[in-house]
Amino acid sequence: MNHEEAFSELAAVALDSASAEVADAVRAHASTCPECGPELAAMEETVAAIGELAPQARINPGRSAGIRSRLLVRARNERESQSAPVPGPPDIARGVASLTGLGHKATPGAQRPVAADARRPTPATPLRHPVRTDVSPSRVNWYAIAATLAFIITGAQLWRVTQDRNEMRSQLAAVDTVQPKSDSMAQALSEKEAMIESMAGPDVKVVALSTKPTAQPLGRMFWNRATNDWMMVTYNLPAPKPGKTYQVWLVTDKAKISAGTFRPDSQGRTVMHANYALARDALRAVAITEEPDGGMPAPTGPMVVVGSA
Amino acid sequence: MNPSERELSYSSETRSNADDVALIRRMCDADETALGALYDQWVRSLYSLVLHLLKDPDEAEDVVEETFWQAWRKASSYEPSKGAVSTWLLTIGRRKALDRIRARRRYKEDAIGRDQVFANLPAPGLDPSEQTEGKELKAHVHAALQELPSEQREVLELGYFKGLSQTEIADVTGQPLGTVKTRMRLAMQKLREPLSMHRRVTE
Repeated sequence: MNHEEAFSELAAVALDSASAEVADAVRAHASTCPECGPELAAMEETVAAIGELAPQARINPGRSAGIRSRLLVRARNERESQSAPVPGPPDIARGVASLTGLGHKATPGAQRPVAADARRPTPATPLRHPVRTDVSPSRVNWYAIAATLAFIITGAQLWRVTQDRNEMRSQLAAVDTVQPKSDSMAQALSEKEAMIESMAGPDVKVVALSTKPTAQPLGRMFWNRATNDWMMVTYNLPAPKPGKTYQVWLVTDKAKISAGTFRPDSQGRTVMHANYALARDALRAVAITEEPDGGMPAPTGPMVVVGSA
Repeated sequence: MNPSERELSYSSETRSNADDVALIRRMCDADETALGALYDQWVRSLYSLVLHLLKDPDEAEDVVEETFWQAWRKASSYEPSKGAVSTWLLTIGRRKALDRIRARRRYKEDAIGRDQVFANLPAPGLDPSEQTEGKELKAHVHAALQELPSEQREVLELGYFKGLSQTEIADVTGQPLGTVKTRMRLAMQKLREPLSMHRRVTE
């Protein structure tokens, strides 16, 4: 882009009305052009000055305090995680991992992406640094809500995963001649079967997850108390709002423990797996809240899913 | 002192961009208290702008939070030579608000209103806590907006408040793209005059 072309686009770039390609080209030119650089800066200042003409509105003080507090907590967590990572105790070192690559993300403090691995999930930060928060008076509310939900244990608890496995088996047979795809599917099938195996038996506790407040069933949390394996399956869960993520909490009498963040796939499905030691009778509920991207050290957003243990 | 009290006390103080730059430097050094101070200083202006654009308090609060978080994460990208910290923050916030407006349009096919938004902006000077210096600049910009020829103001409104690209503005107004570009450029040049004058006086 030559000087004349760039100069003619400065106003559009300042107003963010130019295409990304044009804006990039103009900014590249302006960064070295003694005429366009200051002109663009002045136009951007003009745009900001127009913004300051907006009628003054006062943000709700309580919500503003909440935003401020969340920002500072996130900033502090980020600083601490960057300056001094603390190794987690051995019993929680395996952490949470997405088995199906459905967008599970680490909670604050996590710097490493979480890789998919069925038998031995890649360690993830959320449970390496479990976030325990004191239970506030609102805990009573959480439990009251959770207690109203039905506790459902049926023979179809694993039907979603089993259904996936069976579907994979059919597909595997159909594509048996295509080696690379076949290998990949066989591995995925093996992972599903391992998951089903670890989530069946007398030591497995099942928590039915339902929407709040409409109590629509939309998933299960399986907890194998013998092996401390956890698996959460969701279906029909709507996508979180832009800039938000879902965060899973294990609620005990003394704490709400972050079990990681996730985004469901386009069908609202999620499969998460974790290994985390918890006393056999400690779990009171499982909850999912909507939090800012990256997650929070303690629940701050609306509780969208809950299940009574 | 709660945040709302802090906000009031800050807004009545005399501050300069140098104070804000110092906060940004501290943010670069991972001092989160500087983020808190920056929030206290600019939350009202930012919220006012994004609420005016989005017309939805919940979404406006989300954008405020995203904007300050981005400011924290990208503090090192701020360059004082390219403008004031307030300009930087309001630019980030406005872009985020426009992203949401564009997303709404994509998903809901919102009608593009052609209401005269600039004509409805209140004249500055009603807020006693505002600094005199800022009031004067705003008054000049406000006056310049009102003096723009209607066709230039319309192009600017569609770009500024609706987040339309120049091509989309050409579609909406039925004007050739070249005409839209010219009108937008002329409008911006007229608006920047009071700003340049203000800079010459204050520097």
